[in-house]
Amino acid sequence: MATVRLEHIYKIYDGGVTAVNDFNLEIEDKEFIVLVGPSGCGKSTTLRMVAGLENISKGELYIGDTLVNNIEPKNRDIAMVFQSYALYPHMTVYENMAFALKMHKIPKDEIDKRVREAADILDITEYLNRKPKALSGGQRQRVAIGRAIVREPKVFLMDEPLSNLDAKLRNQMRAEIIKLRKRIDTTFIYVTHDQTEAMTLGDRIVIMKDGLIQQIGTPQEVFNEPANIFVAGFIGSPQMNFFNGVLKNEGGSVYALIPAANDGKGAKIKLTEEAAGKLEGFGDGKEVVIGIRPEHIRVVREMGENTIKGTIDVSEMMGSEYYLHISAAGKDVVLRVPMTDLPAEFRSGIPYGTEICFEFPAELIHMFDVESETNLLK
Amino acid sequence: MDRNAKKGGVSYAKWGYIFILPFFIVYFLFTFVPQILTIYNSFFENYKEGLTQIGPNFVGLRNYITLFTPDSAGTINILKYTGNTLILWILGAVPQIVIAMLLAIFFTSYRLKIKGQQFFKTVIYMPNLIMASAFSMLFFTLFSTVGPINQLITSMGWADATIDFFAYTITVRGLISLMNFLMWFGNTTILFMAGIMGIDQSLFEAASIDGANSLQVFFKVTVPLLMPIIVYTIITAMIGGLQMFDVPQVLTKGMGMPNRTSMTLIMYLNNFLSGSKNYGMSGAISVIIFIITGILSLIVFRTLNRNYSGTEKKHRRRNLPQNAR
Amino acid sequence: MHANSIKSDSIKAKIQLNILRAIVYIILIFLTLLCLFSFYMLIINATRSNGQLQGGFTLIPAGHFFENLKNAWTDSSINIPRGMLNSFIVATLTAVLTTYFSALTAYGIHAYDFKLKKFAFGFIMAIMVIPNQVSASGFVQICYKFHLTNNYLPLILPGIAAPIVFFYMKQYMESVLPMEIIDAARVDGSGEFRTFNRIILPMIKPALAVQLIFAFVQSWNNYFLPGLLLTDSKMKTVPIMIAQLRSADYSKFDMGKVYMFILLAILPVIVVYLILSKSIIKGVTSGGVKG
Repeated sequence: MATVRLEHIYKIYDGGVTAVNDFNLEIEDKEFIVLVGPSGCGKSTTLRMVAGLENISKGELYIGDTLVNNIEPKNRDIAMVFQSYALYPHMTVYENMAFALKMHKIPKDEIDKRVREAADILDITEYLNRKPKALSGGQRQRVAIGRAIVREPKVFLMDEPLSNLDAKLRNQMRAEIIKLRKRIDTTFIYVTHDQTEAMTLGDRIVIMKDGLIQQIGTPQEVFNEPANIFVAGFIGSPQMNFFNGVLKNEGGSVYALIPAANDGKGAKIKLTEEAAGKLEGFGDGKEVVIGIRPEHIRVVREMGENTIKGTIDVSEMMGSEYYLHISAAGKDVVLRVPMTDLPAEFRSGIPYGTEICFEFPAELIHMFDVESETNLLK
Repeated sequence: MDRNAKKGGVSYAKWGYIFILPFFIVYFLFTFVPQILTIYNSFFENYKEGLTQIGPNFVGLRNYITLFTPDSAGTINILKYTGNTLILWILGAVPQIVIAMLLAIFFTSYRLKIKGQQFFKTVIYMPNLIMASAFSMLFFTLFSTVGPINQLITSMGWADATIDFFAYTITVRGLISLMNFLMWFGNTTILFMAGIMGIDQSLFEAASIDGANSLQVFFKVTVPLLMPIIVYTIITAMIGGLQMFDVPQVLTKGMGMPNRTSMTLIMYLNNFLSGSKNYGMSGAISVIIFIITGILSLIVFRTLNRNYSGTEKKHRRRNLPQNAR
Repeated sequence: MHANSIKSDSIKAKIQLNILRAIVYIILIFLTLLCLFSFYMLIINATRSNGQLQGGFTLIPAGHFFENLKNAWTDSSINIPRGMLNSFIVATLTAVLTTYFSALTAYGIHAYDFKLKKFAFGFIMAIMVIPNQVSASGFVQICYKFHLTNNYLPLILPGIAAPIVFFYMKQYMESVLPMEIIDAARVDGSGEFRTFNRIILPMIKPALAVQLIFAFVQSWNNYFLPGLLLTDSKMKTVPIMIAQLRSADYSKFDMGKVYMFILLAILPVIVVYLILSKSIIKGVTSGGVKG
């Protein structure tokens, strides 16, 4: 059994800087957990504490049922893949992969068997006698993973393993990691700054900022029900659009007003019954932040309910869809519109300055508290 | 359980101490303690006269006073030897730095495209590795009254009689400076070359597009940008010059002839240490040299620190683009 | 007309450049000769007999090289083979200790975070430029007191604390040692000392090689302290013997033999240098600090 439990984990540096603040997480056996967040959010520090490379200032860390705070990395039964791969330059691929096993006094023939198996899985058998210098970036990446596989660890740690690869290779390796995961079936903790990697790889995602966990959830949860403005903005690409607004009760329905929209005349968005229910406790004039994802905004022919008018600043053709940058409500609003949803006259190109109307589907709107930035509809 | 988690953890800090410990133990035993002892000694009368040991007796500042008291001929020896050291150093260091700068410019010049650079560098650097005492002995044999130089001079009829190079202040100092020059100009050239090659080439190109001629480029671009290296070279050369010993010691048989005009500070120190084991006087001289070097070291440290700050916290995190797609 | 003047201008510039180049080559050749002259004379004179040397100046080698070699090698008062062996032992041990421990110290400061790290680094930088002559008086006194004269330990052991070599290693590590390698070794189960010996040292081999050579040469050439501490003729190193040559009654000496002594003193270093000059010269620059 290789669950990993982090209980009230803190990392406080000598200078008093808190890099990780009260981190709580229970990772199930064979779960794939992704820690994601901007640089400096504490995700790598957390991983390094799990690895035993960094001292835990406060809190308890269990791997399986063992408290491992004071256990050295080599005895934690973990393996790790590093961002720079960290291959030993003076050793061959084979020696690199065998080194950890040798350190653990595993018999030679067993080492040989495991190294060759891993090399086979990763398709690097032909490079076993080369030195890392003679390999391409992608091949080195495979060796780095191979070095971790041969350990047959309880927990597999990966620290931004793909960030040194170019875009194409990165996509390819991401797919391979998914395959690999099915094959070796162990607990994974994966650190990345890339939300796409997080969304595609993780069973659950831990989103961090400034040392604090913002949200823990499945990709669907963090995407559909972001805990706060930060998560809403961090997950999804392009970023969610945010507007300042106020709540208004009118004729038994609840509306969100965006005063800056439609040349100062304001826009009025009718909320769903369900949302209205959740917002019941707030009175008229409550200030909120309204969020809507670029792909959830619909372009419409003319003004109507829940619509805003704007002019097109930039349109980016992304193949089957357009990213439209629209100046509306005093903001740069981004829309992600499938080609097929566009009015026919715009399909071959959209002139700048064109006036355009777009609608917010009430059921896809997110609503955040202005002060606490938490999701009001969750 | 709780107690377990609180204490210790996996910290590697102790290994830092373990790894640097040998250095500091050895430094303490073989440099620091002798250093303190040297200073301590300087306040004592402590030497051997023949087989009798005089002292150690506390004498306060008497050793220092002795050092600065004129001898029977009216010279204050320590000042004279400081002067000698300085003169010998300047005679060698000025051509060393000027020639090194010239060569560095020649070698790095894109227009000149000097061929055979590796050969020239190999040759000019070689004297730096030669045993100074053997080099000096070689010069002594070559320039002695019966040596090949004198044979050459007389056989070519350049002089009527043999020249005793070791009888004149100017020739002895000249020879010592020549040797110091030969031993160090190659090293300095290589340092300057590295400095020049470290300057962004586009700066030179920009200057020439701006209409600067090569002299202007040298004085307005190269020299200012090389200043840290030049200053560094001068100061380290100065501290090296202060230690000048092997060459004049062997060349003049430790006597600094003629008339002790080529006696350096370290030779003076050596004289007190080698025969009579005069720890008092040698201690006082050491303290004076230490003060001079201390001042120079401080300058070096300042200049070094300005260009190199080695202790900043290592940045483990890289600056990754935020919210990258 | 205009095109013509441009053409003549460019010809003029070309001639100027060629004149400049000629001057530069003359300077370079002059300096080369200046550097090589004394060594050339040394080699020539080492091939000549005493009589020939008294006879006059020449640039042409004679045939007494092996005779001089045999005379020098078997000289009764200056035991040069013994001196070379002594020097070799001292220099080799010093070089190994200096290089290994400087790398160890540099690694300690490079790889670990500890409270006194900043202070330790600053301290080593501060003592870097203090010449060891200024503590020589106390050093000699201690050696006499503890009967460490005519002993190689006081010449070899201080090499463990070599600030300049430390600084070189530290800089080198900063450029080639990623911290993740150390982390990887820890995760792989390698102890800290094993990581240093088995992973770090192989990674900094070029720096080790350069510093081994420099430290060897420096120790081989060292005269001041050995001159004060080694009085037993069996223990003397080469530089002391060379200085002794100068102090002896010079006129009675077989000059061919004297030149041979000098040649033997500097030959090992020159041979090593000529084989490895390229990397040695590179080493001077990459360290930035030397001498």
